[in-house]
Amino acid sequence: MIRFEGVHKWFHNLHVLNDINLHVRQGEVVVVCGPSGSGKSTLIRTINQLEPIDKGKLIVDGMDLSDRRTDITKLRAEIGFVFQQFNLYPHLRVLNNITLAPIKIRKLARKEAEEQAMALLERVGLAEKRDAYPAQLSGGQQQRVAIARALAMKPKIMLFDEPTSALDPEMIGEVLAVMQDLAQSGMTMVVVTHEMGFASEVSDRIVFIDEGIILEEAEPSEFFKAPKHERAKQFLKQVLSPMH
Amino acid sequence: MLNYDFDWAIITSGRYFEWLMAGVYTTVQLSVVSIVLAFLLGLIIAVMRMSHVSPIRWFAYAYLEFTRNTPLLVQIFFWYFGSYQVLPRFINEWLVTWNFEFAAAVIALTIYTSAFIAEDIRSGVRSIPREQMEAARSSGFTFLRAMQYIILPQAVRITIPPLINQFLNLTKNSSLAMTIGVAELTYQARQVESYTFKGYEAFTAATIVYLGMSLVIAALVNIYNRKVLATVKGR
Ligand SMILES: Nc1ncnc2c1ncn2[C@@H]1O[C@H](COP(=O)(O)OP(=O)(O)OP(=O)(O)O)[C@@H](O)[C@H]1O
Ligand SMILES: [Mg+2]
Repeated sequence: MIRFEGVHKWFHNLHVLNDINLHVRQGEVVVVCGPSGSGKSTLIRTINQLEPIDKGKLIVDGMDLSDRRTDITKLRAEIGFVFQQFNLYPHLRVLNNITLAPIKIRKLARKEAEEQAMALLERVGLAEKRDAYPAQLSGGQQQRVAIARALAMKPKIMLFDEPTSALDPEMIGEVLAVMQDLAQSGMTMVVVTHEMGFASEVSDRIVFIDEGIILEEAEPSEFFKAPKHERAKQFLKQVLSPMH
Repeated sequence: MLNYDFDWAIITSGRYFEWLMAGVYTTVQLSVVSIVLAFLLGLIIAVMRMSHVSPIRWFAYAYLEFTRNTPLLVQIFFWYFGSYQVLPRFINEWLVTWNFEFAAAVIALTIYTSAFIAEDIRSGVRSIPREQMEAARSSGFTFLRAMQYIILPQAVRITIPPLINQFLNLTKNSSLAMTIGVAELTYQARQVESYTFKGYEAFTAATIVYLGMSLVIAALVNIYNRKVLATVKGR
């Protein structure tokens, strides 16, 4: 579904992605973790080309992102992206946030789009908020709407960039629950997160990245029991410590 | 001066009152038609100015510099006296059958004001967080569609207060249209003056009308800021 082959990226002199090789199969849930500034966001953002790559090959859903002729806009419609800061459209009510892209891009009839949006709002537990503006919702609620908005396009892949790190602790659970439900439904997911509970219970694989290099790629049980790399050990100690 | 007889009755009723009211009507008409067109044109120029295609961007830049840096009066004369040379003949013929002075004034005011509006919209767009565009692009919107459905609706809401300011400027600027014979408020006040020699009264009336329009519009901006912007802006 997603295949990185020797992918590199630079920001000026900064080598943010260094020889990335990674294969995500259909229905897999892959968690990406690593220290701040290690290139996690950049990595996940290359998958829908919010960041173009400089070198190597990247195939997503059969389309070659290194090929200039690939219709990126069309590909993006097949990939849901959930941001740390939610990025809902503040001028639109919850329902319209969700129906906008299906109506304008998928050319769905308004009625059909609204029915589908309501079903998604039920699924994330926010049906009663359909007429609220984003600013009237809590962070956790906004993030669940953002997930519903992404799902409304019936994506083949869902990408999450630290979906819970902007949330108050008591709201993290509600968002993770929605993501877990999604994973169980068979969605292909790449998730940047420091929620190690989620990683160990839900993910099929964990990728640890540092200074743009994938240092470890392992099943969760393996990764948590015996991280091979010193950097990964340090990182785990930090995120698992109760002080965090 | 001391011998001057104030005569307010002459302009508050009868023939001259009607002249002034006709002037008010023309001023409002001229301003409203021009602001609507200027808004649409300004929107287009603003998007062109932000285009990723360099020639389009440069064209918009030249347009902005040119229109903002030449006197409005010159532009009005240009369209009034010069349009025979620059506009296709069938448009000129059509304009003449309609109301040529009025049309020239609308064209000049529209073009002049659109440049200022374009810049207001552009700074409105720049105040929208970059992530809004990213969110839109990730859902599969093209740049133009993202602008249309997500960025511009937000930018325009923010731009409404400066936009209304432009409307005020335009209303005042529309008085220059008297120079090409558009019978708007200032023109009519001048007419009243030359028929009655009551210039003081006539122009006081005109001043009050302009001031009144400004105050009403300023009050509307205030209400808008409190009621509408407050609900939408919090993000
Ligand atoms: N647009 C950009 N221009 C220049 N440098 C950038 C840009 N975006 C990111 N960087 C730099 O690239 C490096 C990797 O950034 P990235 O956002 O991918 O890290 P991250 O692992 O997601 O970090 P965090 O945990 O803080 O979100 C950082 O050093 C960052 O400062
Ligand atoms: Mg990041």
